[in-house]
Amino acid sequence: MEIQPIVSVADAITAASAAYDELAARAEEVEDEWSFVNDLADAWRIRLADVADARGDEPAAIGVAEAVAALSAEARAIDDPHRAIDWLSTFPQVLLIAVGEWP
Amino acid sequence: MRFQDAAPDARAVVYAGIQADPLVARAAGLLADARLDQRILARAVMNGMTTDPVVWRTMFPGLFGPDRPAGPDRERSEAILDAAVAVAERGELVRQQVRGAIVEAVTELIVRRRGGGTAAANQAIRRERRILFDGVRAEIHPYDVTVETPGASEAIDCKWGARGISADVLHQLDDARTHAADEEEHLAATLVVFDARRSCDVRLERQTAPHEATRLIALETLDDLAR
Repeated sequence: MEIQPIVSVADAITAASAAYDELAARAEEVEDEWSFVNDLADAWRIRLADVADARGDEPAAIGVAEAVAALSAEARAIDDPHRAIDWLSTFPQVLLIAVGEWP
Repeated sequence: MRFQDAAPDARAVVYAGIQADPLVARAAGLLADARLDQRILARAVMNGMTTDPVVWRTMFPGLFGPDRPAGPDRERSEAILDAAVAVAERGELVRQQVRGAIVEAVTELIVRRRGGGTAAANQAIRRERRILFDGVRAEIHPYDVTVETPGASEAIDCKWGARGISADVLHQLDDARTHAADEEEHLAATLVVFDARRSCDVRLERQTAPHEATRLIALETLDDLAR
């Protein structure tokens, strides 16, 4: 599990974004849900961007770097595109909780 | 309008066994009294890949970090984690069924808080019931939870995630409500989704089936079921 240096809330959101993008790509494999998958991912990216804009400069709390690393590793372990769709919703909720936000 | 037990077909018999699993009651009892972050923990674990509790504790520093002292709240988080891992350790098909049964059981527990939990109020809350209307063909699928109080009846369907919101589900709920109105009866239609409101809204935006009069209860508002 790779732990990236995370100093701020914005760092945490940025560090998690690559794993979220990979999750969305996996979810897109369910062709019937392609539009829903992209709308869902976009909706959560907007929410995360709003948090980064509002609180990005705040220091990340103790344990956030490890939480982001664990969350990203968990998302990358998902090989079933149907589970990936479900995790497109779960992932940002876990991330937001980690940085002290309600989803 | 009248309520009726669902026919005990093969699916119902198998699912009744899932619903009776002690793990379902244990998880539902914990989640009925949980906070949002604890419910999100359960959601993540029950559909996660790893079943290593250490990984999940790392992922939720607000619940298990050094700032969270030992005590009842920490104990509840640990108990929820333990139950959710037990669900995740089931085979994929069984875990899906168990998750669904847990959402239904949580819904029932919270709905039972209405009316102060009196015997009369409790008797009005039922599971796996059909709703019949004069001259209307009965729906195949029973409602997960019903409140069968004259003048304040309610049909409740439960879903694990936003993706479970479909045209069929929305039509069945809205049809029941409108058929009841045709008989000058009140029937509230409620859809409980164990997922974030934001995700539900994205799903609903894609639906043309009628849902304006259906109450949506998402993960953030589960406790509203008590009202």
